[in-house]
Amino acid sequence: MAENKPTGTVLVAGAGISGIKAAIELAETGYQVLLTDASTQVGGILAKLDYQFPTDHCGMCRMLPMVGREYSSEYCMRKSLYHENIEILPFTEIVKVEGDAGNYKVELKKKARYVNPDACNELGKCIEACPVEVDDEFNHGLTKRKAIYKSVPHNVPQLLLIDKEACTECGECVNVCSTNAINLKAEDEMETREVHSIILASGVKLYNTKEFEDAKSYAVSPDVVSALAFERMLSGTGTYKNGTIRRPSDGKPAKKIAWIQCMGSRNRRQNRDYCSSVCCMFALKEAVLAKEKGGPDVETTIFYMDMRTFGKNFQRYKENAVDEHQVRLIRCRVQEVIRRPDGSLQIRYFDPDTNEFFFEYFDIVVLSTGQVPFDDHKKWAELVDAELSPTGLLATEPYSKVRLEGKQGIFMCGSLMGLTDISEAMSSGIAAAGEATNFLTSIDVARKFGDEIPEPKTSDRSIPKVAVLVCKCGEFAGAEGLDTALLETELNKIKDVETVHIVESMCSETGQDEALDVLKKSGCNRLLIGACQPYMYRRKLKDIARKAGFNSSLVQVFDILGISRRGIHEDDKTTWTRRAIKEIKSDIAMMKEKPALHVQTLPINESALVIGGGISGMQSALSLANRGIPVHLVEKSSELGGFAGNSIASTIDGLAPMDMAKDMKLRVFEHKKITVHLSAQVEKTEGTLGSFESKIVYNENGENTYLHHGAAIMATGGHEGSTDEYGYGEAENVMTQFEFKQGLENGNIDLSAAENVVMIQCVGSREKDKREYCSRICCMWAVANALKIKEKNPETRVFVLYRDVMTYGFLEQYYTKARLAGVIFVNYELDSKPEVEIVDGKPVVKFVENVLNSPIEVSPDYLVLSTGVDPEPSNKELSEAFKVGLNRDGFFMEADAKWRPIEFNQMGTFLSGVAHSPMPLPDVIMQAEAAAQKAFTYLSGGEIQTARVTSSVKDALCVRCQRCVVVCPYDARSYNEVENRIDVDPSACQGCGMCAVACRNNAAEVSGWSDRQLMSVIDEKLSDDLELSTT
Amino acid sequence: MSKFIKLSFDKGGLNTQLSEFFSDMLENKAVDAILAPMTQPKKGVMQTLVTTKENLSSIDPFAPVMPVNSAKIASSLTATPSGKRIGMVLRSCEVRALVELVKLKQANLDDTLLIGMDCLGRYENTDFLKYQAKDGSSETFIEAALNGKTESDGFDVAGACKICEYPSAPNVDIRLGIIGSGSGTLYIEAVTEKGEEALTKAGAKFVDAPSGRDDAVKKIAAARTAARDALFASYREETGDFDALDEKLAACINCYNCRVACPVCYCKECVFVTDTFRHKGEQFINWANNSGTLKMPTDTSFYHLTRITHIATFCVGCGQCTSACPNDIDVMPIFRTSAEKVQARFEYQAGRSVDEPQPLSVYDSDELMEVTGQVK
Repeated sequence: MAENKPTGTVLVAGAGISGIKAAIELAETGYQVLLTDASTQVGGILAKLDYQFPTDHCGMCRMLPMVGREYSSEYCMRKSLYHENIEILPFTEIVKVEGDAGNYKVELKKKARYVNPDACNELGKCIEACPVEVDDEFNHGLTKRKAIYKSVPHNVPQLLLIDKEACTECGECVNVCSTNAINLKAEDEMETREVHSIILASGVKLYNTKEFEDAKSYAVSPDVVSALAFERMLSGTGTYKNGTIRRPSDGKPAKKIAWIQCMGSRNRRQNRDYCSSVCCMFALKEAVLAKEKGGPDVETTIFYMDMRTFGKNFQRYKENAVDEHQVRLIRCRVQEVIRRPDGSLQIRYFDPDTNEFFFEYFDIVVLSTGQVPFDDHKKWAELVDAELSPTGLLATEPYSKVRLEGKQGIFMCGSLMGLTDISEAMSSGIAAAGEATNFLTSIDVARKFGDEIPEPKTSDRSIPKVAVLVCKCGEFAGAEGLDTALLETELNKIKDVETVHIVESMCSETGQDEALDVLKKSGCNRLLIGACQPYMYRRKLKDIARKAGFNSSLVQVFDILGISRRGIHEDDKTTWTRRAIKEIKSDIAMMKEKPALHVQTLPINESALVIGGGISGMQSALSLANRGIPVHLVEKSSELGGFAGNSIASTIDGLAPMDMAKDMKLRVFEHKKITVHLSAQVEKTEGTLGSFESKIVYNENGENTYLHHGAAIMATGGHEGSTDEYGYGEAENVMTQFEFKQGLENGNIDLSAAENVVMIQCVGSREKDKREYCSRICCMWAVANALKIKEKNPETRVFVLYRDVMTYGFLEQYYTKARLAGVIFVNYELDSKPEVEIVDGKPVVKFVENVLNSPIEVSPDYLVLSTGVDPEPSNKELSEAFKVGLNRDGFFMEADAKWRPIEFNQMGTFLSGVAHSPMPLPDVIMQAEAAAQKAFTYLSGGEIQTARVTSSVKDALCVRCQRCVVVCPYDARSYNEVENRIDVDPSACQGCGMCAVACRNNAAEVSGWSDRQLMSVIDEKLSDDLELSTT
Repeated sequence: MSKFIKLSFDKGGLNTQLSEFFSDMLENKAVDAILAPMTQPKKGVMQTLVTTKENLSSIDPFAPVMPVNSAKIASSLTATPSGKRIGMVLRSCEVRALVELVKLKQANLDDTLLIGMDCLGRYENTDFLKYQAKDGSSETFIEAALNGKTESDGFDVAGACKICEYPSAPNVDIRLGIIGSGSGTLYIEAVTEKGEEALTKAGAKFVDAPSGRDDAVKKIAAARTAARDALFASYREETGDFDALDEKLAACINCYNCRVACPVCYCKECVFVTDTFRHKGEQFINWANNSGTLKMPTDTSFYHLTRITHIATFCVGCGQCTSACPNDIDVMPIFRTSAEKVQARFEYQAGRSVDEPQPLSVYDSDELMEVTGQVK
């Protein structure tokens, strides 16, 4: 890369999970990222969620990079994020954006915190001293905080700040602060930065009961809480304690908890004619957790309109919640909540099972609050001069969810697109990063990778000579009583410690030069550095060490200030200095036995294999090829386009997939970097990330060829399901939703005399032993076809027999429109399915009309069946060839349902589109873009560096029992039958150590964590407290 | 339903009958080889591999001795397949250990015919020689043991046998049943299809099932289970803390015999003989410095604790460890008591089934929350 090119720089505005994901992806691709957030913290809503559907765990760290881990600090993401290519600016607003794509000037307002984070020792004496108490917004007012406070209880480092609105400027905090960190006169700072591209990721505003008129009939007590507030009631850093969920009003244990869905959403009168998409799963998860956290006697009830379990595995989660966790679901819109004198909350509801009204009393009512329109979008539209769509969201290019209409260098992701779940936030973050990368590639800016400082090949057998550097941390350490003289004396006594040096401040350049000089002269081969906040500075300190000739794996950075602060409260300085020495001694023990670890460089074949020539596959192929990556596109049929591209002429939102596919096909065939293999299938594959070899067999002549590629994307798509229910195949006018749609489009269906059309939804879907999932697109198709019928002949009666109408997000408006147009939606449950009889070659449909609760019999002119989407059968062979997962429904199984939706565990393999699960076209395209980006990051770096800490096999000790192979959560280990040995894929290995646990033999070992090392540390920790010669 | 063959024998004729039975098996190609305990030309009874019927005359499977746990022998014979079918006559603890080794891919049952024998216990090797010297035979032992008398002139069967809940071998193809079959009678049971096929091929005539066998087996098992529980209770009492356990192990000299004798200790090279435990001189001095005195050799209790963690999930309770100790440390109860708790926690039982995955061999992120303290 030429020296004079500037490094591509991207502003990511919004540090929720989608923004973070976009930032990490860009940083990994080698671009510089400015990550801002208007709030005081990073993590967005997820910082408040200890438990996430569907695992009911936190898994945020799973979004961190799997390869090249050396470049980002791998810590709990809910604490904070560190990456050397990402500059994080919380509490910062974007106030002005000037310029054009490739050349933006962004004006930032860094809001005053009044506490200097570099000086603050986080001990919180100021918090104790502060006399002002206000509601803590992190816990939604369930707890109080002071005017000077920690905005997120679990962040590291703890960044304190002062709420200037609450602050009385009494100065108590300033008085008790020993480090002069507080400045009550601080002011906002303005700064202008230049960036090449912008990703908007600021999320969406949520409905709350204080602000909105229509919430009044519900928010009648402190025990009526929002779903997010309830989340804080389940959290140890919130109000959860000792296995009991308590009512906020009086602290009594809550045993009956109700959720009311669609709070603020699906409300046309309030101009909120959309579904917030995530609340159903959120409520189900909370109901499951409530029982787990509150005890088995907690009763949970969800009042809902439609249970929208449209995403992958959502249906199964719901069934599990009902069957295993006794979550009660009642389909009823609750009109109001009444607080009774004893504090309990009364809900009156209509039970559709019995057709009667009931009163029931609850301890806590949770309001499932969704998004509200869309102030932020207006602000952004003005700032970046973008269009708004009729829904109030930022307008996007056709088919794209992330590319802003007419704005070449600006993209968006996450809930700014409309509330998203975690998986979609991830996909969109990656896709936005992909689009930005595409753009940055086109304007010819540079990518930046870690400085290559050559590392000496320290021999494992060299006698350990340890250098210890301790940073005094300028004035602060002195103020906290770090007795460095004593420390130095004691450290010098330790065997194998050859050099001990105290640096005034390692942050300063003089300090760093001084350190470098000392280290160069030391002749040592192992180094221990005591400094503050090692998670932030580790990389920089290790660079200094490397320049001085140390192998980075033999450099350990420890938190000297942390030790001092933990000790300083009660102890005098001798006590804690002694404690510090003990900690350092055990670090030295660990270090002495440590072998030098080296990064392995894996060569990369810079090309990709895309399997499936549908819209998803073509999109991935084009995206990669446009960035210069050669692509082999393999399609098993004789033409590109797939199901949507060859058979769907139009969609409900006015798109024309066939037209788009026609254009894509042309571009694919014309692209020099794309080789198309039609009527071809992948028979087998060998290799790992960077170097796969796949055998392609051509169906027609049986010939085959071998392709070499560095990555692979499964984009196999799906097709319409079939059925033998409801008289399908027995009468001409019983047809599938797709057949009906085609008939309407090509004019074969004449509605001029049609009196009745009946549609049955969920045919063979969301049912045990059939399609056990929601196919996501059938409700949309039914609504579209119903509207088309009404358009052609308003007199035709249309009945849609449904279980839950899955018009999530802004599809809700079409559902509303259909009802206004007179389409009759009738709910049925699995135990009362409609019955169809074929009489004289015509169907007769019997069902129960659920408002009047009376049986109805209709002889429709057309009976239309929504038969769902089936996965491609070839997925099975592909999953075996690539050793990637397949779920029980036959769709591919991603590495992590929430945090890694685009990747497989098998490194270098990705998935997108309907191969993942049924989804609408814009989502398919977004995933395809994301998959291309993931592949691009790996393929374009020239080589891949494995982590230093990976597991290895001591062949002589290994008995080939293969326990390690089974136990590896990352599929990094395999048994090589030919060589009769265990192989480890170092790019897939994450160094978790499960294999070392499973191995009885010590044949599996994680480098740098040998038994010897750990035994020495234990010895050191168990040894008697050291006698100090001086005090 | 199992099928049975009845072998009646006159006094002193048990082994002749068995020898004829196994001859038929070999001759009719029901198996290609037999592994069974046989009287050795010079001294004692050892597992012996035989491929021709002429060499079967010294067979003596019921001899109350088990010089080694044959699971390890089965492992050597089958880990790399010979392509020949071997009939292996094994005791319950040997079969159960073998099942664990199969799951650890250290043995392979494809070419084996497992022939389990009822086990009334075994003497320690030296005691067995004394027993033989006094004209004790398999038949006299069986007769006495079935009447509840295993003791003989100052010695008795091994402690492990007294508390063994499995007098009858599980997971076998064929069973040699002596319990509840009546005096002078041995029943051979085809337990699996494979077993029935082999017996049919050997020309067996099937008869009705012996009545009362099941009850007799249960009765013995119940008595031993009661003895086991009593031993567990008292042993746990005696080893309630680390110091008490340390005292039990005080005589250990790191000979590692117990590990060599253990059928489920399957490492190629024990970690205790690798570099990991080759401490530097400085280390010993530091230890001595820290605690004033340092008993040598070191790492003795550590060794046994490591063995507990390594085999608690697999231990089948054969007691070979105790038999192997030159310093008479009764180590068996350490492993049995710890194994009982560990296996119960995983709802696992070593040797119960070939298909049951071993504990900690599958990754489950939701496991053992009470131990890991993992916050969900």
